[in-house]
Formats: sequence, C-alpha cells, structure tokens
Amino acid sequence: MKTMHITIMAGLLGIALPAAAFDFGKIDWEKAAQTVQKVQKATTEIDEPQEIELGEGIASNLLGAAPLLDNAAVQRYVNRVGRWLAMQTERPDLPWVFGVLDDDDVNAFAAPGGYIFITKGLLERMRSEAELAGVLAHEMSHVLRKHHLQAIKKGAKAELLSDFANEAIKDKGGDQRLTKLVSAGTEVYARGLDKDDEFEADRMGVVIAARGGYNPYGLPSVLQTLQGLNPADSKFALMFKTHPAMSDRLTKIDDMMASGFEGMEDRPDLSDRFAREMGAGRR
Amino acid sequence: MRKSILFVVLLGVALTAGAADFARTIRDTELKAGPYSDAKTLANIPVNSKVEVVKRQSAWTQVKSGKSSGWVRMLSLRYQTSTSGRSDSGLGALFNVAKTGTSGSTVTTGVRGLSEEQLKNARPNPKELERAKAYAVEKAEARKHARSGKLEQQDVDYMGGK
Repeated sequence: MKTMHITIMAGLLGIALPAAAFDFGKIDWEKAAQTVQKVQKATTEIDEPQEIELGEGIASNLLGAAPLLDNAAVQRYVNRVGRWLAMQTERPDLPWVFGVLDDDDVNAFAAPGGYIFITKGLLERMRSEAELAGVLAHEMSHVLRKHHLQAIKKGAKAELLSDFANEAIKDKGGDQRLTKLVSAGTEVYARGLDKDDEFEADRMGVVIAARGGYNPYGLPSVLQTLQGLNPADSKFALMFKTHPAMSDRLTKIDDMMASGFEGMEDRPDLSDRFAREMGAGRR
Repeated sequence: MRKSILFVVLLGVALTAGAADFARTIRDTELKAGPYSDAKTLANIPVNSKVEVVKRQSAWTQVKSGKSSGWVRMLSLRYQTSTSGRSDSGLGALFNVAKTGTSGSTVTTGVRGLSEEQLKNARPNPKELERAKAYAVEKAEARKHARSGKLEQQDVDYMGGK
C-alpha cells in the first residue's frame, strides 16, 4: 500500500512539479527514486546495438540449420535489391544483410537488426525482381517494427529480454543470457510471429517495394503462387503453419490496393533482369 | 468427381510448357483484350467462375473462360489449392539456381534443415555468418542497381489495415 502510494506520488510529481502545492514532508525520497527506477527498468527496450547483436546470434543459428547457397552472383544480386529497398525505409542505416539459404523448403526469415534470408525453394518459385522485392520488403518490415522482439516477449521470455536490455553484455561469447535469448529467438521461427504482424508486414512490404519504384504487385503475386501449392507438402509445411492463410493475406492486400496504387501497375517488374541474374548463376 | 481429378492430372502431365492452373473469380470481373485497364472489355465474367490460367504478368493474368480468352486483374482471382503437388510456376521450372564453385561451408554436426524441429535444435554457424556479411553491399551499389533497372523512388505512405 505504501509502495503504491509512493508510486502514484512519483508519477504525479512528473506532471505536477511546476505547480507543486503538496505537502512533501512525509515522502521517503530514496524509496520513491528506487521505485521510479524499477518502473523504468521494466519498460526499457533493448537498444539498437543489442538488437543487432541478438540478431547476429539468431542469424548464425539459422545458418546452422541451412547454409548459404554457394552462388556469389545470386547472393550479391539479392543484396543489391534488398539494400535499395532498405534505403526506402525508416531504418536505412542498419547493417542490412540479405542471404539465400541452400534449402528446398519454401520460406523466408527475418532476424532483428537487419538479417533477411529467403530459401532457394522460394526464390525458384519467383518470376521477377518485383516479386523478390515484395518478399524481401515483407521480411524487412518485421525488422522495422521489431516484431521478433515482441514475439520473444510473448513467449514468456520478457525477463530475459529486459535483463539483456539492462545489463551491458561485456563478455560476448560467455554470456548465458544472450545465449538463452538467441535460442528463444530462434524458436520463434518454429512458432511463428503474431498473425497481425504478418498482415502488417504485407501492407508495409507492398508500400516499400512501391517506394523503390517496383511494380507493387510483386508480393501479392508471390502469395498467389504460394496459394496454389499443396499445403500437405513438407517443403511448405512450416511456412503454412506459421503464417495466416494465403487467401486471407490476399484479401487484405486486395482491400488495401483498391485505392492509392492506380498507375503503378506499369512500373517495372524487371522479370528479364531477374531471369538473367538467376541464370547467370548456372554453370 | 474422380473423373475430373483424373482429367486434371492427365492435363497436367500432357502440358509440357506451363501447367494448367485453374482459378476462381472472387468478384464480377471484366475480361480485357490486353493487360492494362484501358484495354477493350471483351466480356464480363461473373463472380465465382472457374477460369484456366494461361499466363501471369504483374497485375494481370491471362485466362481462358469458356470460349473467350483475355486478361483479368490478378487480384480478382484466387487459385485452387493443389492437392496433387502442382508444378512450379516460377522460373525454377526453367533453370536451377545452381551452385557455383566448391562449397565454402564447413561440415557441421547435427541434422540440417528448416523444419520446426530442426530450427529448435539449430546450432550457430559463425563462419557462415561472416560469409553472409561479406555479401552485403553499400548504398552506392544499390543506387547503381536501381538506376540500371530504371527504378525511380516514389513517395508512398504506409497504409493502415482493416
């Protein structure tokens, strides 16, 4: 009860200090300050360097599950497209890294701090650079909005995250908290993000691709391709499990694109360049 | 029912260039002479009609509907989910995103793969992470890429959802 009183007082103080007309005589200042500190601590978000460090760990785990496709030309191409898109966003200066995973599964992953991966299986089902741009922009939106961090919090790992936020990690390799957090972060891929976060990433993905000058129909076009796939096939199992139904995603994009995208359907989809760049990887 | 499935399967086998895909219209839809909105309207296709997909081109899809053929808006169509493993519509059918050179990745222990279980048990691969970072490009290179593709930056605001 006393603590509560102090907390309320401390809260009021922030607002009412200039017009102070209270009797402050009975307040335990030290305790009040501690309470305020505690409240601040609980709500502290991890900062950008920490976000990047966590993302690196998660990305390293992903690459442990599936290595990079051993094709420098394709990797570079995907990075050029991704970097251009990143420049259209509110976080253009993150150390964005894009990669194609050598795996036949159809899926794509984003890790905090700017790590974006798509599988070879998904890339092979694309038909243009605009489609690639749409998928990369969808994944980038997860990073922009920190959806992954929210998913970690929801998975009852909020404490790990706030501990990490408050204690500077000095000894990188040996820190148990970071290791635990990275493994919690990797598990998010098996569970999936919040469905509303997926819808948000669809909306943002379409817009980011449009900002980059691409034909904005790339992302819905990929979703339509995926819609026709057999969900019972193990190659698509995890993607279908961790995402809202393709038909629901298409319906929402359809609603959004009903206005504001007039005249954009003639924008380049760069299907020729895409075919050339993919083909260049063949020996 | 069984007959129609057999027919679809046979058709899929018979067509070598592009599999026969079918979709349904989700609204009354104009069938256009070309893939652009001011193209001549050839016919009106009612909602929930089954059409055969001939070709997809950005915002438009070329379809056959009964005896007519033409273009409809991509987002007016929903594909029928395949239960028989539809063939690829992407470029994968034409080429492989093949590997070049020898693999630089090292052998790691544990089972690799991106299934739910494999992701839960994933072990870090710091060497591969360094490789990934080495492929990152600078803004200048991205700008050059955009210029050569004639991509022009546009002002578009994020949009809220329903």
